[in-house]
Amino acid sequence: MKIFNLIVILLLPLAASADWQQPELSHNLTEIKKAITASDFELLNMDEEPVRLSDYKGKVVLLNFWATWCPPCIREMPSMERLYQQVESDSFDVLAVNQMESIDDVFAFSGQLAVDPTFTIAFDSTSEVSRDYAVRGLPTTYLIDKKGNIRYRAVGGREFDHPEVIKIINQLIAE
Amino acid sequence: MMTKQNIYSILQVYGLLAVLSLFATPAYTAKVSVYKNETSGLLTWTSEDEGFSIELIQLLPDFVRAIYAKHNFPADEIERIASYCVFGTILKNTSDQQMKYYVKNWRYQAKDEDSRPGRLRPVKTKTQWLDEWRRAGITFSWTLLPDAGEFEVGDWQQGFTTIELPRETAFDLIYKWQLDGVAHSGVLEGLKCAPENITE
Repeated sequence: MKIFNLIVILLLPLAASADWQQPELSHNLTEIKKAITASDFELLNMDEEPVRLSDYKGKVVLLNFWATWCPPCIREMPSMERLYQQVESDSFDVLAVNQMESIDDVFAFSGQLAVDPTFTIAFDSTSEVSRDYAVRGLPTTYLIDKKGNIRYRAVGGREFDHPEVIKIINQLIAE
Repeated sequence: MMTKQNIYSILQVYGLLAVLSLFATPAYTAKVSVYKNETSGLLTWTSEDEGFSIELIQLLPDFVRAIYAKHNFPADEIERIASYCVFGTILKNTSDQQMKYYVKNWRYQAKDEDSRPGRLRPVKTKTQWLDEWRRAGITFSWTLLPDAGEFEVGDWQQGFTTIELPRETAFDLIYKWQLDGVAHSGVLEGLKCAPENITE
């Protein structure tokens, strides 16, 4: 298995470098016209402690579905960290739900990032949560309001610390 | 010599064409570009159509093997998907409307032995792969381009597209999408499956 991991590391820059990462990240979020209640779930975090979405009730939550092999997920992650650092933490949180990878995989991956994510990463080891949220592809992100309703959605990578996104989050916080 | 009747017939035909043109989808010429990665020699095709962009990136079989080996696929399943012509695929909604696509409506066409266009074949969907993987005891369900997408403004997605053709085979891809319920289609001509290895 290690040899294949090595091949991925060696070939990824060749197959992927400029190619997979070309599209510019936009900042559009799609408003969900009819509010949908975000299903609660319980997953483990990096410390193998349980994390529930309901733990975040009363906060606006950016719920992101991702994986380490997904180039746009990697690209948008620094902007999620910047967003997390910029917005008041009493009212806002970021929860990144990894799909079917191990804690070791993600730990190794985060060590390669320029900025280590400080927001919570949870592990959806069977992809059951992503199925509940009708996630077809990665990354997919939902913005959940303080009452636990899904209010916005983004399919594909985004620049989450864009002023327009921060404005939407602050509007949801102010509600 | 043109008789009055001939002229009348010609005018009728042109009149009919003029009426038909009112109902046709506005003509849009896709902008197609091909990019060669200088390091790997691998090719990327991009087509910018009306409100829809598609990018296909050649992937080496070893890259595909490595991706699925990392996810603990059995060796025979790794070889099976690596035997396909696999492209990294990026789809984008470049319009200000809702865009939908369904991979089941996409087709590809290679030339036959006599260099004539072969039969149109459907692109294998993610659902078809997942059914086969489930039967092989595999629960992993990511990396492949989703079968269908409903993209709002700014949405985009990527994943693998698999074409059942031998290495380095040239083919055309016929793809379809909808913009606000209106059907569109495009063709990417002269796509080529990646070689087995990087060649100098």
